[in-house]
Amino acid sequence: MMDGTLALGAEAVGCAAFDAGIKGAFGYPGTPSTEGFEFVEAMIRAEPEGRVAQWAANEKVAYDLALGVSYAGHRTLVTMKHVGLNVALDAYANSALTGVRGGLVLLVADDPGMHSSQNEQDSRRLAEFAWLPCLEPSTVQECYDFTLRSFELSEALGVPVMVRLVTRLAHCRAALTRQPTLTPTGLGVVPRESVQDWVLIPSNARHRYVELLAKQPRMLQELRAMNTLVAGTDRRGVVVAGMGRAYFQQLALEHPALAALPRLEIAAYPVDPALEAAFLAEVDEAYVFEEDYPVLEARLGLRGTCQIHGRLDGTISRTGELTPRQLKEALALETEAGKAPSSLDLPIRAPRFCDGCGHLDAFEALQEALKNLGHPEARVFGDIGCYTLAAQEPLSALHAVVEMGASISMAVGAALAGQTPAVAVIGDSTFGHSGLPALLTAVDASANITVLILDNRVVGMTGQQPSQALDQVERMVLGLGVPEAQVQVLAPLPKQHLVNVRAVEEALQYPGPSVLVFRRECIQSLRRGVLKAHDRDEKARLEQACCTPEVQP
Amino acid sequence: MSEPRVHGIVLCGVGGQGVLSLAQIVLEALRRTGLFTLQSEIHGMSQRGGSVHAQVCYAEVPLSSPIIDEGSAELLIALEPLEALRYVAMLRVNGHLVVSEEPQLDMDGYPPLADVYAALKAVRGAHLVDTEDLARRLNHRQAGGMVLLGLASTFLPVPNSTWREVIAQRFEPKGSLITKRNLAAFEAGRGLAPAKTGA
Repeated sequence: MMDGTLALGAEAVGCAAFDAGIKGAFGYPGTPSTEGFEFVEAMIRAEPEGRVAQWAANEKVAYDLALGVSYAGHRTLVTMKHVGLNVALDAYANSALTGVRGGLVLLVADDPGMHSSQNEQDSRRLAEFAWLPCLEPSTVQECYDFTLRSFELSEALGVPVMVRLVTRLAHCRAALTRQPTLTPTGLGVVPRESVQDWVLIPSNARHRYVELLAKQPRMLQELRAMNTLVAGTDRRGVVVAGMGRAYFQQLALEHPALAALPRLEIAAYPVDPALEAAFLAEVDEAYVFEEDYPVLEARLGLRGTCQIHGRLDGTISRTGELTPRQLKEALALETEAGKAPSSLDLPIRAPRFCDGCGHLDAFEALQEALKNLGHPEARVFGDIGCYTLAAQEPLSALHAVVEMGASISMAVGAALAGQTPAVAVIGDSTFGHSGLPALLTAVDASANITVLILDNRVVGMTGQQPSQALDQVERMVLGLGVPEAQVQVLAPLPKQHLVNVRAVEEALQYPGPSVLVFRRECIQSLRRGVLKAHDRDEKARLEQACCTPEVQP
Repeated sequence: MSEPRVHGIVLCGVGGQGVLSLAQIVLEALRRTGLFTLQSEIHGMSQRGGSVHAQVCYAEVPLSSPIIDEGSAELLIALEPLEALRYVAMLRVNGHLVVSEEPQLDMDGYPPLADVYAALKAVRGAHLVDTEDLARRLNHRQAGGMVLLGLASTFLPVPNSTWREVIAQRFEPKGSLITKRNLAAFEAGRGLAPAKTGA
């Protein structure tokens, strides 16, 4: 039914979660995972019927929200990018011990090649680390089918299930065949006799860990049918997973001779060691085509039964995205000689700030203030967002960008080590994500830091989702204990430049934590009218409040 | 007998030019023609004025790889001349390049335009389109993409009626005037096609 819905891979996961009868979807935006949540959110908005979709302040919160829905007995989806899973790792790893009540599926999108990320870590390693199953689709239709299967597995095994995508698949668009939508039904809250499973005090956790390990053979058994060994006549074999599986399948279509190669197709982890052994018995050498880390390659190599070719022996580059060209070269297939590349030197067209972006005004004020105070070489700690672009020429205004929320904590550390001035630049959404606890510590340590919160009222870079800290940043800062005199809200506009420079200078000179909130809406969200309804309602509410006489109790 | 050969189209330009929406029109048109299709796109940080590209693959048999190898694309549709040069090597020897002459100069170190045009003209199968002039003549500032698509469509196995249907549906929510203007731009592009010999 409903053949031909066009969807991205990430969207197919969201669509399947809806059709699997989820009660709640949660996530934190991050390329290339964002569309997974947005798709299911749109479906829920169109047909709520008791379902909820909610962006969370960060990935750990999102994961815990999902775990709560599962505890209450309902199916749930949580989405994030690979580095987001680091933030949610505490929740993810420990949910392996609690197990789940309602099915819980985690969509994680890895970014090999770092199209839009600070590393290319492989989430399959984290699933293995947590002793949890991971399904790895290779087509948009599989994104959908595997997600449906993940809900069943999650409930059958009583554990969360990860669906792992990579950028190429998350952002691959294809037609989708859907299944009928299930109505969300509840299994009921965790029953009294199982409550101890969810209370991870050491005496319970020890039991639960033993029980998690005891589930492993059943996991292998449940997943066995998803991994297949295809016999061949050649003594060379291939192991294919994820996009490696997709690329190989395509090549095999064009080069029928490849069918002679014994083939181990992996779509689910953990992989049954007996299946690996059966494959290795068929071959004298094997090529491993998997996306990102050499996970399968390292496992097979350790058995030492044959020569393994992949990223570890240099057959495929150690870093970056897997490409069809790499498969062709590894298998010594002829490559097409196409048109000659341009001999003209082509400078990179780097992403840049939008014309009229308020972030630029904030950075200009900061740089001028630092210069005026004799610190033109001051190192500034940056964070993750559009404003990270300021690390590039010509601004070169940020000198460290590591992970979400690091700007404030690193500035505190540097300040405690004697660095002056110690400046942090962070966006409003990133501040809500993980800047808050850092600022609490800054206040406790009376650290001599200056924090610029670039508040564009949305999560700009990932597509202008509403910021959870919308118009509340200064109240949050005050609540954390920053002295009122050291908190200012400024408008990053060219005409305010002198006022802003002076405000930054004062903050830099204050020997303790001070915070400057530069607030101006993202010009992209302004153009799209993202906050138009919110601002109209808020204005009406304020007018109402000021005109209605207050009734004293 | 279905041929297993995969056909590839590369679309490129600068963030904000509409590369991805153009790719979606191409994808949908091929799909409605009864072909198996896949599209791959790279965006995210690249939205912010950086290089953007998408690939559309199609075949008469089901596809699994959303990307094609270098040297194997049939068609490159470039909304920007310098960006076109980045992807020329994606084209097969007899592939076609449909490219706008209108540069997006807001970057460091843009080579002299004459050099860019010369490099493009040196590519066999290149069709340079003065989109700026056509947009002026059509009295439609954003006609460029549709003009390029019109010309590019003559290299693809999709009936004109299907193209028109997909374009009309795409712009329908924006009103009949905008739909009409885009269809006119598309037709103007089709009119630029070199006369076919033989076929």
